[in-house]
This record gives sequence, structure tokens and C-alpha cells, in this order.
Amino acid sequence: MKRISFKMSRRTTLSLILLMIALAVVLYSCYPGEELTPADTDLVATFYDKEANFSTKLTYAIRDSVTRLDEDGNPVFETGPYDQQAISKIKTNLNQAGFTEVNDPAAADVIVITFANKSTWVSGGCYSWWYSWYYPYYGWCYPVYYTYETGTMLIVMLDAKATEQKNALWVAAINGILEDTSAGIATRINNSIDQAFEQSPYLYK
Amino acid sequence: MKIIKIKSWQMFTVFALVLLMFGTGYSQKEQWYGAFTYSVSIPSGDTKTFTDEISWRGVGLDYRYLIDRQYSIGLFFGWNVFYQRTDKTTEIENGAVTGTSDRYLNAFPIMANIHYYFGERKSIRPYVGLNAGGYYMLQRFEIGVAAWQEDQWQWGIAPEAGVVIPVEKDFGIMLNGKYNYAFTGEDVFGRDINNSYWQVNAGFVWEP
Repeated sequence: MKRISFKMSRRTTLSLILLMIALAVVLYSCYPGEELTPADTDLVATFYDKEANFSTKLTYAIRDSVTRLDEDGNPVFETGPYDQQAISKIKTNLNQAGFTEVNDPAAADVIVITFANKSTWVSGGCYSWWYSWYYPYYGWCYPVYYTYETGTMLIVMLDAKATEQKNALWVAAINGILEDTSAGIATRINNSIDQAFEQSPYLYK
Repeated sequence: MKIIKIKSWQMFTVFALVLLMFGTGYSQKEQWYGAFTYSVSIPSGDTKTFTDEISWRGVGLDYRYLIDRQYSIGLFFGWNVFYQRTDKTTEIENGAVTGTSDRYLNAFPIMANIHYYFGERKSIRPYVGLNAGGYYMLQRFEIGVAAWQEDQWQWGIAPEAGVVIPVEKDFGIMLNGKYNYAFTGEDVFGRDINNSYWQVNAGFVWEP
């Protein structure tokens, strides 16, 4: 049998070693990133009716409690530790935006209702060792799962004078992880409500 | 939520195999030469919109075959990692979204190339060239507790200009600049985009 030999110069060997070291460093950087704090998971999304004329909406009535929703979206009668704080923060922002509060919903231009719910997220994936022909091939895959509780608050502004069923004039959705201290959650709720108004300049008179 | 992670050692193996293949038995005389470069990338266009930060994580591996005194043809493999964490507000069609988002782009260019060299062999040789092929792009966007990922092949080209500086008989230094442009591609939300980025590369060349 013919012997096949590969002759490698010292330079090539050195190059290979350098390459391996350099790659080893870089390869750990596929998904570089920093740790997330609970506040980093906070998300504030706002949506509005593009046809709405907010300059004519001057008065608001607000429901003085937060309506909780169960997993199916049905209301449940519970109160939460941050409800009054949230309502009061929403009122402050509405007043700053130029709205005036009225007690009688029939006399108001808009009605503001706050909803909240909690949900458990299950996240994870199947981290494959190798993408085989039969991928996903579970024999070569180990699943990783983790769960976390998130809270969502919806602030919904409805047109009180609407004569037919219409979409909300404005909706703010605030979402974040609840695994935090109560002081932390309280601060984050306040910041998120402020942010919801800040990113909705059309509400301001 | 779709989570796919390519194990880093998989790419490592591919790079190592390619290098071993070219670096040993397949080489003939001095017609072949290889180059290993460290890359710094500056995003532009749609890539800048997604990750507006310079990438300090990148490598490239060139293998070039000299077809005559002035020209070489070859293959190029690379890896560039773009990352940005931002908490800027993103305007959407009827509203806005604010939150801390992590944006990742792993670009793996795989290209064939042709280069033209000025000057004589064994001297300092400036060169120009064109890489053509594409990029395997791993794009990932994380915000709040949600994540979107889009992994795809994007066709593209990369014009290049550089210089090879010989140091010893079979060893030298390479410096070059490239402009990478992908003709095709979609972002994590399925919108058409053209990824592009500028690159400065520095490394060494060897002749097996």
C-alpha cells in the first residue's frame, strides 16, 4: 500500500494553532449579550386609531379599578397591590396631556378602562448537536425549558360618543416580568405608564 | 417562539476542516496561498438600521490559487458577528413600541473570488478583486420576552482592495478593505432588506 504523507511546514502548523485559538475566542460570540434585568424585559406598545381626532376629546371618565382577566380573557373580580398606583399615574398623565376628568361617563368624551392579567410563559427550545438529515432528530437534541411569570396591563381609551361598535381610540399595552421586588415592580409600572404617554404625542392638547 | 442555535463547535469544525484540507495535502508547490484575517465591520444601509454598532468580532479565511503572475482565483469564508442592545422607541404603522431589544446578526460569507495583483511576486503587492457568492445570515431580534429569528441564505458580492506584504519566504501580512452587499434577503419580520457592511481586515498569509 502506498503511504501518503502530508508535509506541514512549521509556519503552517503555527498558522493552524493561531487560527484555532482565534476561532475559539470568536466562536463563543455567536450570541454575545448582556444579562437582562427584570426592567429590561419591560415592553410598552401603543396603538391608536389613525382616524381619531384627539383634539376634540377633552374630558375623560376613568374606571377606578383595574379589571383583571383570566387566561380566557374573562373578567375576574380581584384587586392587585399596584392597582391604585397605576390608576393614579394614568390620571396624572391624562391631566398633563390636557384632558379633564369628569365623574359621569355619560358626560365624558372618552372612557378609560385599565385591564391586567398575569400569564406564565414557557420558553425554550431544542438545541441540536448536529443537523442531521432527519432533523429534528430528537436523539441528538436536548430540550431546555424555563418558565417565567409576566404581567400585562392594558390601558384602553374608548370613544364615549360612539354610536356603533368601534375599535378603541388608543390602547397602551405594558408587559414585563414579575420576578422582581415590589418596589421594583411599582417603579417599573410608573415608568412604563409615563412611557406610554410619552410615545403618544397625538394625545396632547 | 422559534429558537435555533447553531452550536459554535459546528462552525469551528467546518473552518478547521477547510483549513486542514487546503493547508496540507491538496496544496501544490507555491501556486496556492492562504490568508487568515481578523475583521472589523461597519454596518451600513439596512444592516445599520438593525444593528448600529461596529462589529469587533470577525474572522476570514481566504484560499487563493495563482493562475498566472497577475491573477488569482479562490474561495473565501468568513464570520462576522453584529450585536446591539438598544431601548429606542420604534415607530410602527399606528403606534409605537418601546423596550430593550437585543439584535444579533451573524453573517457567514461564502464566496468565490478573482483578484488582480500589481507589482512582482515576492514584492509588496497591492491588489483589487471581486468576491461573489452569498451570506448565510442568522438574524435574531429579542424584545421583552419575545424573540424572532430568521436564518437564510442571501446572495451578494463584495468588492475588495488590499495589499500583501511578504515577510519571509512563505509568510506575509495581508491588509484589505471590502464592501459587502447582499442583493436578496428578508429581515426577521419578513420585510425585504439588503444587508450591507464595510470591512477592514488584517491578518497573515502563508504559502504551504
